[in-house]
Amino acid sequence: MMGFRWLQPLFGCALLLSSGTVWAADGKARFTPCVACHGSQGEGNTALGAPAIAGQDAAYVQRQLQHFRAGRRGAHQSDTFGAQMRAAGATTLKDDAAVTAVAAYVAALPKTQRAAPVKGDLRNGNNLYHGKCGACHGGHAEGNPALNAPRLAGLDAVYIRRQFSHFRDGVRGTDPKDVPGRQMAMMARTLPTERDLDDVIAFIHQQGRPQ
Amino acid sequence: MKKGLLFGLLAAAVAFGAGAYFGRSTKQDVVISSSTSGASYGGGFKAEGDNAQASKTAATSDVLRSVAGPAPTNVVMVKDGESIQAAVKAAPAGTIIRVMPGTYHETVYIDKDDIRIIGVIEEGRRAVLDGQKKLNDAILYSGNNFVVENLEIRGYKGNGVMGQAGNNFEIRNNIITDSGVYGIFPQLGQNGIVEYNIVSGIADAAIYIGMSDNIHVAHNEVFDSVAGIEVENCRHVIVEHNYVHNNTGGLLAFVTPGLPIKTTVDVIFRNNFVVGNNHVNFGAPGSTVSGIPAGTGMLVMAADDVVIEGNIVSDHKTAGIIITDHAHAQNITADPESDPNSDRVKILDNVMLKNGYDMIPEVRAVLLSEAKGGGAIDIVRVGPSPGSCIINRHQYVTAGLGDFADCDFTNTAGISTYLLPSVPPRKIDPADRGKVAYLGICSGCHIYNGRMIGPPVQVIQALYLDNPQGLADYIAKPVKKRSDYPEMPPQDYLDPQTRIELAKNMHDLNN
Repeated sequence: MMGFRWLQPLFGCALLLSSGTVWAADGKARFTPCVACHGSQGEGNTALGAPAIAGQDAAYVQRQLQHFRAGRRGAHQSDTFGAQMRAAGATTLKDDAAVTAVAAYVAALPKTQRAAPVKGDLRNGNNLYHGKCGACHGGHAEGNPALNAPRLAGLDAVYIRRQFSHFRDGVRGTDPKDVPGRQMAMMARTLPTERDLDDVIAFIHQQGRPQ
Repeated sequence: MKKGLLFGLLAAAVAFGAGAYFGRSTKQDVVISSSTSGASYGGGFKAEGDNAQASKTAATSDVLRSVAGPAPTNVVMVKDGESIQAAVKAAPAGTIIRVMPGTYHETVYIDKDDIRIIGVIEEGRRAVLDGQKKLNDAILYSGNNFVVENLEIRGYKGNGVMGQAGNNFEIRNNIITDSGVYGIFPQLGQNGIVEYNIVSGIADAAIYIGMSDNIHVAHNEVFDSVAGIEVENCRHVIVEHNYVHNNTGGLLAFVTPGLPIKTTVDVIFRNNFVVGNNHVNFGAPGSTVSGIPAGTGMLVMAADDVVIEGNIVSDHKTAGIIITDHAHAQNITADPESDPNSDRVKILDNVMLKNGYDMIPEVRAVLLSEAKGGGAIDIVRVGPSPGSCIINRHQYVTAGLGDFADCDFTNTAGISTYLLPSVPPRKIDPADRGKVAYLGICSGCHIYNGRMIGPPVQVIQALYLDNPQGLADYIAKPVKKRSDYPEMPPQDYLDPQTRIELAKNMHDLNN
């Protein structure tokens, strides 16, 4: 019963995606179908499995949208939310221009920081983050376009944990054309335990917040 | 953030200290030892083969002041306006290159044996190597029996003097200022002397002895740096008679996890002035040294058989001596092949005063857990340290030393040096040149699974997962991609074959 209830907003999302507003000329209009899941400010919605995307690097967003379109992401049977996003992309982002416009619009949105911080061993999280993640994602999880690494600060814990598992378990980052994804998959297999992942996420959640 | 992490360490110390105290039934009796008498520490080095007798002679008579062998007879001069590097290129192995006072803007690579670069000092004027914050390194040597003396080095971004697998080196009487991450950095060398240098303004270690053996560090002044003198993944090192002041941490003996050589064993810190090392930590955030609490006189982390004797350790706001393990250290990731504990630390007589005066509540709690009050702490131990000992413990304010035994020796007078007569060059099989280049060059900044200076090797492996040629090309001409990491220096002095072998070697590493 619960499962059906959380699917309801997704149907709404799909309906929006199929509406005529998708084909508006500017990025804001093209983003409209995305609002139902990702929020009007791109702040994300944990309950819907939609990550915060506001202020995310345009090249990263563009690359992921292309991956969804091409079936390089969201095609694995274990990636339910990815499959939804892939379906939405197939409907709404039918050409490169649409992808580029939406990515640019998303990147220009003010960054959000609404995910509830999770608790963990911050010392362990700090050590592991700097030892395994920070060299690409930045010392403050701010992302680094030069290394194709997205911003992690501001992402909710459920999304981070899910994507990390996908990389580690061969759900994401396996396509030969997804080189950054393969790089991340290789690193994901080096984190020793789930507890360590929790600690890293706790550290990430301390980044970009007022201290 | 740093304060919070330090709290974590100290909270652990509270628990540990409390356990140590409450686990003891009675306070230990005071045992008073005289360091002017009693047995000497035997040391942990036993020379073998041809060096055994010579080493014994050196150790007992203190005659070994040089390790580079007889001075070459071929001498050339470099004058202001000329190139030191050009002179090195033209010189046959076995040449003294005298450098006249003047200013030289260059990086000097020495890959031949028996080269000596000797600055000529005229009425206080020296030969100045000025990197102008454009060049990475002043002196890079890989040759054996190398000597560098009397230079002034300033304004480099990476290293003042760096050794890359050269044996029998002498680095003496140089003034090194504001020159990147390491002032003097012999890496992967055996049998070396670092003495009478003045080093300051270094963003990592003023003097960094890395993965080396049989080293003598004496009579240096190091200050205004993050780490004063750091002995890391080395064996048989004596650090004595140095003046170490106003760094973040003064003297450090580490095992840094993730380096290819896994141990630090047999280090003697003796007769040093370690004073007022309270400098704000300006190490790159997330790097190993950025975890050093400001106000640390000495720090022993996972190093074994470290002897601390005869030092004046004063005016450190955090503590005079911190002994810890990998588990409690900041910015450290575990290495399954490294013993994480500081085993057999030996604390002999030292003069300690005015340490731990900026006491935060957690430190006070550590003291209270051992029924000690007051407003100071000289020695803190956190994490296991089996087999350790101390003499005259009653003289110091300590925490966590409850299981330290009384040492059965009181001094190190029986060991004058770990230096040897000249040792043979490191044997390098052409098939191993990629491995040796990694050991001698890359591991100065990169460790396998953590952040030292550059990104971890694991990350590099992922970024170039099926493209070793891409890595080989990158190291020849790096492009800065990380705003919070120092710029990587070009390694274009390595030939293309060595670079690709190096890249393949890094690709295949698993620790």
